Amino acid sequence: MKTVAPRKDLLSFDDMSREEALAILDTAKPFKDLFTRSVKKVPTLRGKTVLNLFYEPSTRTRTSFEIAAKRLSADVTNFAVSTSSVVKGESILDTIDTLQAMQVDYMIVRHGASGVPEYIARHTKASVINAGDGYHAHPTQALLDAFTYREIFPDLQGKRIVVAGDILHSRVARSVFDLMHLLGVEVGTFGPATLIPPTIPDYVKVFTRFEEVLEFNPQVLYLLRLQLERQTANFFPSMREYHRVYGVTAERFRRIREMGMYIMHPGPVNRGVELVDDVMRYERSLINAQVENGIATRMAVLYHLTPEVKSRSGETEDHA
Amino acid sequence: MSTRIFQQARVVLPGNAEPESVMLRVRDGRIAEISPSLRPAEGEDVIDCRGHMLIPALCDAHVHLREPGQEDAETIESGTEAAIAGGFTRILAMPNTDPPVDTGGMVGFVQSMAKSRSRIPVSVAGCLTKGREGAKLAEIADMADQGAVMVTDCNHALQDAYVLRRALEYTRHFDMVVGVYPDTPALSAGGVMHEGTVSFRLGLPGIPAMAEEIGIERDLRVAAAVKGRMHIQNVSTAEGVASIRRWKARGVNVTAETTPHHLLFNHEDLRAYNTDFKMMPPLRTREDQEALLEGLCDGTLDMIATGHAPHTDFAKNLDFNHAPFGIIGLETALCALHDALVSPGKLSWSLLVERLALAPRKLLGLPGNAFEIGAPFEALLFDPEGKTRIDRDTLKSRSFNTPWLGETLRGAIQNVYLGDLTL
Repeated sequence: MKTVAPRKDLLSFDDMSREEALAILDTAKPFKDLFTRSVKKVPTLRGKTVLNLFYEPSTRTRTSFEIAAKRLSADVTNFAVSTSSVVKGESILDTIDTLQAMQVDYMIVRHGASGVPEYIARHTKASVINAGDGYHAHPTQALLDAFTYREIFPDLQGKRIVVAGDILHSRVARSVFDLMHLLGVEVGTFGPATLIPPTIPDYVKVFTRFEEVLEFNPQVLYLLRLQLERQTANFFPSMREYHRVYGVTAERFRRIREMGMYIMHPGPVNRGVELVDDVMRYERSLINAQVENGIATRMAVLYHLTPEVKSRSGETEDHA
Repeated sequence: MSTRIFQQARVVLPGNAEPESVMLRVRDGRIAEISPSLRPAEGEDVIDCRGHMLIPALCDAHVHLREPGQEDAETIESGTEAAIAGGFTRILAMPNTDPPVDTGGMVGFVQSMAKSRSRIPVSVAGCLTKGREGAKLAEIADMADQGAVMVTDCNHALQDAYVLRRALEYTRHFDMVVGVYPDTPALSAGGVMHEGTVSFRLGLPGIPAMAEEIGIERDLRVAAAVKGRMHIQNVSTAEGVASIRRWKARGVNVTAETTPHHLLFNHEDLRAYNTDFKMMPPLRTREDQEALLEGLCDGTLDMIATGHAPHTDFAKNLDFNHAPFGIIGLETALCALHDALVSPGKLSWSLLVERLALAPRKLLGLPGNAFEIGAPFEALLFDPEGKTRIDRDTLKSRSFNTPWLGETLRGAIQNVYLGDLTL
């Protein structure tokens, strides 16, 4: 494994090299192997404090981070903040000052507004992990997706993926685009023209018909969750039509199966919208594997980061 | 009778593209003589301006003073002190205070507050509609009687073309300009920055250029049809400039402004989610930026206005989606424009004076302060080699929401003169 410079925060893939991404993914593997043992814990982060700072409700991601931190023997605290505290006159900075005083080593941040984890990272010595901000980024989701992809195809160079659905409002799509591109995967996208803006990165191929997706023949078809409120904003006329034109219908599923394509989805799934229910039982559906791999990948991310918190001797502690 | 002589300054004179080295005699607050050489009379004050520029003092047709209602962000006193620090002797106060300035009484209140709190005269704009709600015309004649020179609903763009039509017709009997903020709210709603590659990358809701383009085109068509007197605030798009150019050529009675920040920044500058780059209209693309400069040079855009919009640290420390739009601009305008445009030769001194001093005064119905015999002496002395540091200790504004915070700009304002006073 190549050595990479120490990193304090994981906010997006803007400043990440391919080597570093691979280093994180390679680290996740031994952590996953740990899960089959009777003792699933390692002492790596003993004595460290990990704080889940979620401004948006999320049971799945929060729990995944919580288990990951606990398996590294860290102390974990959940700090649920309602966005209404903004209205009450408490700024994000006030919250950070409070938490800084509690000597937190890692902050896992989710916020409905893009940029908040980056803002927090600038104002704290703790390592900040972006657990999803607005439409901006969700880097640990993309990492667990890449990990899952690599379990089947160890070398992703030249592989193909199509991300389908609401790109415009998706932080998952942005991070998956960036990381897959970084790892040498050819990236395509498919969905309503209203939800795939012309401002997406140049390296993403845009497909307008499902036939084109089949011709591209990706190893993985990655379906995004469609937020039901997009319909009311006229991004598309109805769920029924969305499913017929852009979803995995029963007929399309048959062809996907014939071609041996894998299916991914960040969850939770809207059955009958992004995909028909049968897909959930498909032997090449990786949806459950993604959830399982979330823990090992997040352990690897925690392991990979180096907070700026100083020890008493005045030297930066190195947990690794 | 008080007189003084300004000597050795490089002076921007009307009709001359380049500054000239001449002497000025000021008597009783007015320019009495302009000559290559003047002999000081007995006891006459002589101001040595060697190495400095003497130019007409600036005028800003778009300032939010925040008083009454948001005195934690700015007051009439702090805002006008910021204006003086930036070389402005005249400003137009916007009516979106709390309560809004939408009656003759409120106009009178702001005028009288300004008389006691401000060292420079303050012109006042009233609301175009009651409560800035876009529905019913405010009492425009009452406000005109109290001295208001413009009616505008500020950033509450008029959704209803009918209201704009009636406002442009009704104001024709008064010395009153209708100020419009061109926008199409149905297209811009929810957006926080220019819609483009950067907004996609940052995952921020976008404000498409067409929201402004449609607004400008619609408002110009209404103004053309009813022959009203309209002023377009805050132009930010290349297509907007093109529309104004086209309609001006057809004789529409319209003026337009853009801001220093739209001239000097674009959406690429916004990467770190710094809310001091969040303004309405948003920073656009490099192409828009270039079109604005072109429009400024060919006269399509008549003036530069800062849109000075103070907000507290607390408000600007909110996340990018929730932080308010707007930046302060009074204290950075001249130095920033000098630093980025005049000094490298992209904008002449005479044009800067025209756009940042003379044209806005004309809009406000004020006597011109170009350096001519008999003109009121309102001027500033500028050191092109000086440095101006923009930071919390130097800013006179109560708020610090400027993208230039922490920067040092080339050029420094030495003195500001209003008649016989040195401010």
